Amino acid sequence: MRDRYGAQDERSWKLRFHTQTAGCSLTWQQPYNNVIRTAVQAMAAVLGGTQSLHTNSLDEAYALPSEHAVTLALRTQQVIAHESGVTATPDPLGGSYFVEWLTDEVERQAWEYIHRIDAMGGMIPAIEQSFPQREIADASFRFQKQVESGEAVIVGVNRFQSEEGERIELLQVDESAASRQRQKLASLRARRDAQRVAECLEALRCAAREDRNTMPLLIAAVKAYVTVGEICEAFRDVYGAWTETSVI
Amino acid sequence: MPTPIRVLVAKPGLDGHDRGAKVIARALRDAGMEVIYTGLRQTPEMIVNAALQEDVQVIGLSILSGAHNAIVPRVMELLRQKHMNDVVVVVGGIIPDEDAEELKKKHGVAAVYQPGAPLEAIVAFLRSSVHQPA
Repeated sequence: MRDRYGAQDERSWKLRFHTQTAGCSLTWQQPYNNVIRTAVQAMAAVLGGTQSLHTNSLDEAYALPSEHAVTLALRTQQVIAHESGVTATPDPLGGSYFVEWLTDEVERQAWEYIHRIDAMGGMIPAIEQSFPQREIADASFRFQKQVESGEAVIVGVNRFQSEEGERIELLQVDESAASRQRQKLASLRARRDAQRVAECLEALRCAAREDRNTMPLLIAAVKAYVTVGEICEAFRDVYGAWTETSVI
Repeated sequence: MPTPIRVLVAKPGLDGHDRGAKVIARALRDAGMEVIYTGLRQTPEMIVNAALQEDVQVIGLSILSGAHNAIVPRVMELLRQKHMNDVVVVVGGIIPDEDAEELKKKHGVAAVYQPGAPLEAIVAFLRSSVHQPA
């Protein structure tokens, strides 16, 4: 941040990061295993010094998470925070030969990517050339092949399967939710100051066109009950929308 | 040499999870089929139009948003309206067993693939269910 972008504020030089456990590791088969996977991943994140952590719910391979599943995901963090003892030391794995080597290796490979992307002219040209999309698609296809050949073991999926399916309770989204939301939105639109909404949106479009900081205007807009949809539409008016070239 | 099977892999609705759709698309292509992938956020109308223009024999719908009971019947209805009943429609994604049965029995979907479906089984099914012109 300092060397490449000339950031002045010391706080912006620090690596502060959020971690979310891996959605793609959640399986539909034997869903309770997902609690264990998430716990292992969350523990790794804490050992790695994350500042912020999201633990996935066990039912996310099925549906939007239920209240019960979300609570269990939160309890996973609480057990790590209050019972495991890992939070008593700032860097419990500091000095571990393997972990230090792994960190260096991740850094080296990340730099390799950064150099490749720089050589393409930056991230936007790289996306336009479908580079990151292809890397992701290649990796997921490779992984699927490894799962099917048994080279990658996924407990409950290609090893240690059970005959009996585990049934879990899923969140049911009531079909009337959509019409309720439409009504709420209509009544909000009737109540709010329409003149003020129009001004906020025009100010946003104007700042976007002139490439100015839109953040203060965004805050003013949401305070005036401008909806997220309307804000996005204002940006689309100025910038247009990106349609991805599909690569397979 | 038979002409390759033509497949449209489509992502209807609002969910952006197309990892599976792309994996399937590539597996079908590797199996020698001609595969067109629509990209995200397609409406049933867009999908059926693309299927018509690309003259495909198979449509694969990938849905992970839970909206399959709204989207799939609409696609089937549009296909009937356009006299494209011979197109084989398969659905993949997070589809509960009860819904999968209903989609097959009531709406004429040829197969529903849930998580864990092997790529080879999908390839084999499409090969056996598409009638190739001699």
